[in-house]
Formats: sequence, structure tokens, C-alpha cells
Amino acid sequence: MACNSSVSTRIAWGLISSGLLLAGSACKPHVANTTLDTARALPPEGQLAALPLGEIAGAAKLSAVNEVPNPLAGNAGAIEEGHRLFIAMNCAGCHGYDAKGGMGPDLTDAYWRYGGMPSSIYNSIYEGRPQGMPAWGRALPALEIWKLVAFVQSLGGAVAWNQYHRGLQGDHNVTSTAPEANSLLGVFDNPSGATTPTAGEGSALSAPPPAARTP
Amino acid sequence: MSVASRLVARPFAPALATLLSIIGAAYHSDVAAQNVSGAHANPAPNDPAGDWHMQARDFANTRYSTLDQINLDTVKRLRVAWTFSDGAAYGHEGAPLVIDSMMYVVAPFPDVAYALDLSKPGSPIKWTYSPDPSPLAVGKACCDAIIRGWAYANGKLIYNLLDDHTVAVDIKTGKEVWRTKLGNVENGETMTMSPFVVGNKVFVGNSGGELGKIGWLAALDVDTGHELWRAYSAGSDQLVKIGEDFKPYYSWMRGKDLGVSTWPADMWKTAGGAAWGWISYDPDLQLLYYGTSNPSPRVPVQRPGLNLWTSSVFARDPNTGAAKWAYSFTPHDQWDYDGVNENVLLDLTIAGRPRKVLVQFNRNAYAYTIDRATGEVLVAAPFAYQNWSSGFDMKNGRAIVRPDKEPKPNVKLPDVCPPDIGGKDWQPSAFSPKTGLLYAGIFNICMDVTDHRQSYIPGTPYDGMEMTRQAGPGNHWGEFMAWDPATGKKIWSIDEKFMTMSGALATAGDVVFYGTVDGWFRAVNDRTGKVLWSQKLGSGITAAPMTYLGPDGRQYVAVYAGVGGAAMVAKATPGFPPRGSTLYVFSIDGDSVATGLEMPTTESTGTLKQNDSSQTSRR
Repeated sequence: MACNSSVSTRIAWGLISSGLLLAGSACKPHVANTTLDTARALPPEGQLAALPLGEIAGAAKLSAVNEVPNPLAGNAGAIEEGHRLFIAMNCAGCHGYDAKGGMGPDLTDAYWRYGGMPSSIYNSIYEGRPQGMPAWGRALPALEIWKLVAFVQSLGGAVAWNQYHRGLQGDHNVTSTAPEANSLLGVFDNPSGATTPTAGEGSALSAPPPAARTP
Repeated sequence: MSVASRLVARPFAPALATLLSIIGAAYHSDVAAQNVSGAHANPAPNDPAGDWHMQARDFANTRYSTLDQINLDTVKRLRVAWTFSDGAAYGHEGAPLVIDSMMYVVAPFPDVAYALDLSKPGSPIKWTYSPDPSPLAVGKACCDAIIRGWAYANGKLIYNLLDDHTVAVDIKTGKEVWRTKLGNVENGETMTMSPFVVGNKVFVGNSGGELGKIGWLAALDVDTGHELWRAYSAGSDQLVKIGEDFKPYYSWMRGKDLGVSTWPADMWKTAGGAAWGWISYDPDLQLLYYGTSNPSPRVPVQRPGLNLWTSSVFARDPNTGAAKWAYSFTPHDQWDYDGVNENVLLDLTIAGRPRKVLVQFNRNAYAYTIDRATGEVLVAAPFAYQNWSSGFDMKNGRAIVRPDKEPKPNVKLPDVCPPDIGGKDWQPSAFSPKTGLLYAGIFNICMDVTDHRQSYIPGTPYDGMEMTRQAGPGNHWGEFMAWDPATGKKIWSIDEKFMTMSGALATAGDVVFYGTVDGWFRAVNDRTGKVLWSQKLGSGITAAPMTYLGPDGRQYVAVYAGVGGAAMVAKATPGFPPRGSTLYVFSIDGDSVATGLEMPTTESTGTLKQNDSSQTSRR
């Protein structure tokens, strides 16, 4: 490896551990914005496994969804490193150097087949998706995946971290509904009158205990 | 109204059309009768004139039909006779086959096949076949989940699934006869090309040069699907099937194991050189011709050397796969120019000497007329705007590279012409033995390119070209042209605002057909280049037109409108059409057994329950 930054060392470790190669030439001077403290602030490994991909069936629909923000969102250094990873990990080859799509989907628009919240994007990178998206969870450490998510969020099309239902319902740039319709929405959604916890209530990092995730 | 009664009702139409064409031909000057280049082609295997049994119609890849009801006089009366939509959203690039009054089409992913009965009102579906390929393949195909064609042999429809299986389907029943696994889609290998049949062998090749897959061509037994041989595009002479008989014309392609030694250590294993284009065959020389794709990664600085045998053409013995000669169009290809375009086999005289040649319009914008017995380049001339080379060295058979147009990593290199998709991509040309000219849709495009060094990660692109593409001089993206293969001269050309990425069809009616990416389907006078007729279709045309004689005695012209594939590079252009999946079939006045003043209804002719899984779930 020609590059000594902790970032590329970690990538290299991930790839080497999975039998892959990485050309050192992609390395540039390290931008030291993503410190060990940020790494410690990452959601515990496994927490995101509890995030549903579809809507929730039955009575459980009323329980809180495990929404998790990206601790690196908006971090300029993380976005730059995420962009570099986007090229180095060959993401650009599929999604386009402008991320506007090609073999893979456009990442700059509001259309998300598997969810556009940062936690959903994290899961798509970690787990892969069935139409050709590789599962990167064994090749990349969590910190690097969150940097990629930060880069994707910076492109403008992502769904806010606590907007699980809005993302599922396709509410981008919606105008307000009629007052009577708005007041009745909850009644039709919840005919039994059970209390629905506010989305995103409390600290995301104190959400329910993480489910075990086998890397 | 039955077919028979319609035929009785219009007994004079074909005869009148023939008479008109005779009068028309006599009316034109002597020039009209001339074969401009003196070129001819072998029409083998001499399939019935009204049928269309293989993608290019014949072994020589001429896409020429002897039908002439639709001609200079009648073409203006072309109207839609009937349509068929397969509902598949990806690029439609193949041509229907017509065999014994049945039409066979295969949709792009999920690769469902349909048999249509042309003798019945509305051309109803006789059977469907749903192969259920893996959805993983959609994201591994570099250039859309397309299919480029399908083949017929010995009662079977044979085609490649995007997920690296070749299937054979009984054309009577629609039942699968065999399915052969040829690759591993997880690692980025796909199959998109049209199989090609000679005798009891079917030849198939892979796609995946953009994902670091080493290219190969394989021969399968038509009846069992068993793989008989496989020849790679790089590696040792043994893998490439280079032996005693291999005689490349130029010295720089001679030597031992050049498929290894023209690469940095071990890089031949991810060489690219996929065989995703067309195949042709000379029954006299008994040689098979096909091209190989770009080297991988597309970043040249990572692979110093000639990178043989990528961006090349091979001549092989179809029985053993043994290579007889090869020729690299763009050794150490730095721009993704490939070598997979169709090789049209012609016989002509150059400098007083009769030659058996192949003609290829390469993506690098040179048209090559090559002695197909030896691999000697006889004519090399640009057919589209290019600036990557300063001329052609005929002694060495190589274009002279301009150093200032060689990409370097992390440096934006502006105005390289043509771009990766070339002066012409895979869209096949046609040849008329009446005019001696080739007809081709070509491009006028340039790129700004920035290379990025690549790591090989299986299943991901091994690519590295960041590009923006724009129109070349004249500000039009496409052209349709007539080309003299003996002199290397453009005879006429038609500027098109959008890319001209359809195949071409030449006919004895003296009209040639092509389509544009914005959806215009046109008929042109094959001598003057005058556009005689156009119709806007529901999507862009990236497929090849074909023509056939219906069981009612009428000549039809058919073409898919379903834009996709590499044409999507221009998708942001104002006026670019939406996706589509409709086959349009035209006839004079739109007459057909599917058209009429009365009330035709669908006759279900199939004995089997239809099974089209693309209709029962979203794919």
C-alpha cells in the first residue's frame, strides 16, 4: 500500500480479509475529520438489522421504528472520503461518476426501491441487493460504510433519517392535505385508538437493543 | 375474412407491384443498374426468400432480402399492419425470425420467448416460454439488460439468457429442450449476443469486458447443448486455441503465448475481450469470424502492452475452435473501441485482384476491408469523425495513435473522437449485391474523458472511464451512410439529430431501412440516399429491421421500437423518447390478415396453456 492513512488501511484490511485487492494509487492525503470519537459514536453493529425494509404488518405497525441517523451526515471530511471510496470501490462504475445511474440506480434522485433513509442506505451497502448490488459488509468496516452514506446523503436525494413512513409513502415535497382529511388520517390508520409513538422519539442510539448480526 | 379469401380478393396487388418495379428499374439510368464497388456476397445457406432464419439472414451477415414488393414506387404506401408488445422495459436489439409462417421473438430481460402465428388474424401467440433468469444479471450487465438476437436450428429456438445460460426451445411446443450453464453471473459475466448456428453447432460468447471478465467463444451441440470447445481471448496459446495453423498477417502479432506476454503479470486473467457481437461464416474457407471486446480495465496505464487478443477479430475453424489468424484493430485499446462489430463477408476486386474480404466498421471509426483468408488489411479509411489517430500505417496494419489523445489517470482529456461507444457501435450494417454498397447507422460523437485507476473487485466494474459525451462537428449525433468497401469511400450520408443505432436492412426493392434513437423509422433510396418514407414509432429504435413474406403473399417489414442499451448515454437529450417494447410490422397500405373492415378475432392456436411469468409478477 502506498497510502498510510487510517482510512485506506482499514479498507485494505477489509478487502484483504475477504481476499480482494486494492490499488494504493487511489489514496490522497488523509482528511482527518473522522476521528476515533466519531467511530465510537457509530450505531452499534447489528442495530440496523432491526430496521424493516417494508411496512410493518398488523398491530406492530404502531410500535416505534428503529430509526438511526448517520453520525457523519454533513461532515465535509467524511463526505470527501466517502466520495473517494465511491470511486475506489468501483461504485462509480455502476452508479455513474456523477451518481446519476447507469448499470445501477440514480443515487441523486428521490426514488429509493430499498429505502432512502441513511440507515436504509447503510443496509443496502452492507447487505447488497438482489439486482446486482454486492454486499459490502464483509469488505468494509462500519465507519467506511457510513462515509459512503454521508456522500450519498450529500447528493440531495436521500430521505431524512427519521422519515421512515414518509419514505415508504412517497411523500417528497408534498403540499398539505385538506384539514378534515388531515384530522381523520390518524383515525383511519389507527381505528382502535392506540397511541402511536412519535417517530424518532428519544435518542436513536438508545433505541431497542441491537439484534445479533453475523458479519 | 380468411386468408384464402383475402388472397382471392386482391389477386393483382403483388403482380402489379412487380410490374411497377420492373418499369421503375427500366426508367432509371444505366447508373442504377451498376454495382458500384463490384462486391458480391454468398447468400448461403440460401434460406427461403420469404423467411428470415437468422439475425443477419445469411452466413455472410448481409441482411439483404430478395423481396421487392416494397420498392421505390410502393414504399410511400407503407403503413402499420399490426403490432406486438412484449412489455419488457429494457433495450430491444434483435430482429424477429420468420420460419414457415411462424414468427419468433425474444424479449429482453426476463428473456421471455413468443411464437406468433402469422397465418391467423392478429398473429396470435402460439406459445410463450419463460426461462426465469436470475435478477442478479440485471445489475451485472454493463449496458442495459438487453438481448441482441436469437437463432434457429433443427426445430429449436436457441438464445442466451442474461444470467449466462444458453437455452434451446422446441419451436413447435415452446418446451425447453436443454439449458447449458456457461458462466457465473455473480462475478459480472452476462450473455447478450445472438447465438450463430453452422450445421449442428451453435456458437455463443460472453459479455463482461467492463467487469474484468475474460472473453471467450464456445461451441455447443445443437441437439444436446453439450459444450464442445471454448476458445479464450487471452491467456496461453492453448487457452486461445492458437496452434500450428495460426498465421497472423502482421509480425507484431506473431510469437508464443502473446495472450500472456502482452500483459503485466497475471492481468490476462481479467483481460476482457468478451465476444458479445456478431459472428459470420464462410462455407468455402470453412472459417468462423467474430470480434473481441475492449481490454480490462479500461484504464490503459494499468496494462502496458499490446493486450492481445482484445479489440481483435478472430478467424477460427468451427469444428475445433483452432485460430487461423487474428488481427487487433486497436492494440492496447485506450478508448474502449472494441472489435465486436459485425464482419460482413464480401467478394470483390481490389487493385485488379479478386479478394475474399470481411468488412468491419470498427468503433475506432475506421472501416476495414480485410482479406478474410489471411488477415491482411486491404483498405482502412475513417467513416466517421475521429481525432485519436493521425493516419494509418498500411505496412504494419495499424492506425497511428496521436499521443495527445492518450488518456492519463486523474487528468481530464477533452474532445476525444469517437468516444467509448465509437463511430459506430454493434448496430449491424447491411449490404446490397445490387449496388455493391454497405449501409450503416453511424455516430458523430466525442468525449471528454478522465481515467481513474481501478482495483479488481469481482462482480463490480473494472472500468475507470469517467466521461461526458457530446456531438462532433456539425452538432448532429447520428448519420446513416452508404459505403464503398472496395475504395473505402462514403457514397452518401444522411445527418440525424439523434444517434442512428438501429441495424440496417437492404432489399431487392432498392430501398434500405433504418431507425433512429428518437424513434423515426425510415426507408431510403439505396443509390441516392433520398429518404422516401418515415414514420415515428412509440420509442427509439435500437433493433434491426427485417422483412418477410407472409402466408398471404404480402411482403412485410418488421422492427422493434424499444430504446435502450448504449443509446441511453444520450437519455438526457431533449426529445429522447421513453422506453418501449413494441414490434411494428408494416405492409403496403397496412393490409394484412390482422387488418380489415370486418371483425377479426383472436384465434387461439396453441395447444398449451400460455406461461408468461413476466405477466404474473413484476420483473
